[in-house]
Amino acid sequence: GDSWGIFTFLCAALCNLPALPALNCSEELGAGQSIQQTYDLTRYLEHQLRTLAGTYLNYLGPPFNEPDFNPPRLARAERVPSATVDLDLWRGLTDNARLAANYRAYSRLLCYLRVLDRQVGTAELRHRLAHFCASLQGLVLSIGGVMSSLGYPLPAGPAAPPAPPGAPAASNDFLKKMDDFWLLKELQTWLWRSAKDFNRLKKKVPPAVVTLRLEARGF
Amino acid sequence: PLSVSPAADPAVISPQDPTLLIGSSLVATCTVSPDFPLKAEDLYWTLNGRRLPAASYAALGPSTLSVALARLNGSRQQSGDNLVCHSRDGGILAGSCLYVGLPPEKPVNITCWSKNMKDLTCKWAPGTEGETFLHTNYTLKYKRRWYGQDNTCQEYHTAGTYSCHIPKDLALFTPYEIWVEASNRLGVAVSDVVMLDILDVVTTDPPSDVHVSRVGDLEDQLSVRWSSPPALKDFLFQAKYQIQYRVEDSSEWKVVDDVGNQTSCRLAGLRPGTVYFVQVRCNPFSIYGSKKAGIWSDWSNPTAASTPRSERVVGGCDPKGGEQNTTLRRELKQFFGWVKKHAYGCSNLGIKLYDQWRVWLQKSHKTRNQV
Repeated sequence: GDSWGIFTFLCAALCNLPALPALNCSEELGAGQSIQQTYDLTRYLEHQLRTLAGTYLNYLGPPFNEPDFNPPRLARAERVPSATVDLDLWRGLTDNARLAANYRAYSRLLCYLRVLDRQVGTAELRHRLAHFCASLQGLVLSIGGVMSSLGYPLPAGPAAPPAPPGAPAASNDFLKKMDDFWLLKELQTWLWRSAKDFNRLKKKVPPAVVTLRLEARGF
Repeated sequence: PLSVSPAADPAVISPQDPTLLIGSSLVATCTVSPDFPLKAEDLYWTLNGRRLPAASYAALGPSTLSVALARLNGSRQQSGDNLVCHSRDGGILAGSCLYVGLPPEKPVNITCWSKNMKDLTCKWAPGTEGETFLHTNYTLKYKRRWYGQDNTCQEYHTAGTYSCHIPKDLALFTPYEIWVEASNRLGVAVSDVVMLDILDVVTTDPPSDVHVSRVGDLEDQLSVRWSSPPALKDFLFQAKYQIQYRVEDSSEWKVVDDVGNQTSCRLAGLRPGTVYFVQVRCNPFSIYGSKKAGIWSDWSNPTAASTPRSERVVGGCDPKGGEQNTTLRRELKQFFGWVKKHAYGCSNLGIKLYDQWRVWLQKSHKTRNQV
């Protein structure tokens, strides 16, 4: 009864003493590991986007939050990079081109999302958007990391995408709502596509070499 | 539905993105662009996704269709009601966001406090109506009385939605005028002006180093000691303190109010062999002779301590078990003392921890027996 309890207590307390040998581990991450991490990040973002999009489309109001809503994509909406691409073209992409397309797309999408963040009305939405932007920034950096580890140069380009001539920013609030709708749609499509892109890359890059170094410190 | 459109907009709605008072009426027109082969009879309207009755339409020209909306309700969402002009097959030709609501009410109940005289945080409540259906912007403004310049607070939402934080450049010994402006698309409302001196609304951190210990072997007393908050140590002030305590399984706090300026207090009339949670808070009143009461700090983190268990048998207790307990306890105390001296990283071990564990054991035995 009591004595057994006391014994357990003492054991638990003593285990916190620095009497155990310390383990020092270090791994070297290969490109394979980073690709896996990037893949995981796209799945996580996809999940986050579902909640964010739901909240945002409710904020825009019907018909934007109706499931079958499909407004026209006006010329100005073409600024947002499209994920849809011919299947043979997609299959034939080199690793560099595949990664670069992802890197460029998310950098641009991040810019547009940040603009959204500044204008949106409710505190809850601003908070969700800020969180999503932070995660998306992480994805861009992760893709950059994969490209560097494979020896590819990062795509150059202006930090803010220049507006193509002849397509001004949305000139009224309704058009802006449509732009926002398509921005979220494209983000969703890109995340679906990226999962496939990184799956494909995973198979082509050799698995990571992991080394563990153990150091035991005597008591 | 149309999927690719030429550079020009297929149609134009007027008015585009209007702002309206609740209850007002509106006639909107949709004019198809000359590049499009559509006529007035090929069009229809929806508001927030619902089709509007054809009876409210009127053709004003070969390619212009109007709709009449009467006695509008407040906007369904703050981003504006979606009034859309469609072609017969459902495609969207143009849209207009309607902002229908009320002008803002005067913000009320402005309360402010200063943490250690270094900053000022104020919070307020929106006017009584609350729901204006439009996004309302709040701006907190302040100025020193008798000095012209208005200042605008920049850091919002620091203590809830309707709050703002002024981090620096605040003067003492001078009254400030503070007010809040609420504005939306329909107008502006300004709260009443609150006048205060920073020294009158000072609060501070909760007392640090709160220690609760037994008073020898007395079974019904605990001694509480704490340090006055360090941030205000350089300023002349009298502090008042308050202590609150409760037994472990109760949610009822007992408050000790007349603690005055001391930094220790003895709690009496407690139950023997019971674990108590104790918290202390501080009120830095009369800073620099200010006559107003200060503002109470937050409560310190709860500190736990237990009163000694009664040595005599109280109906039903096993006397043999009690004896074993005292010898065991004495031995444990000696062991912990030795451990403290000979092994680093064990400063948390002690008879107090053992006491808290014993109470936990009692509790878990009780719940196990209840099942």
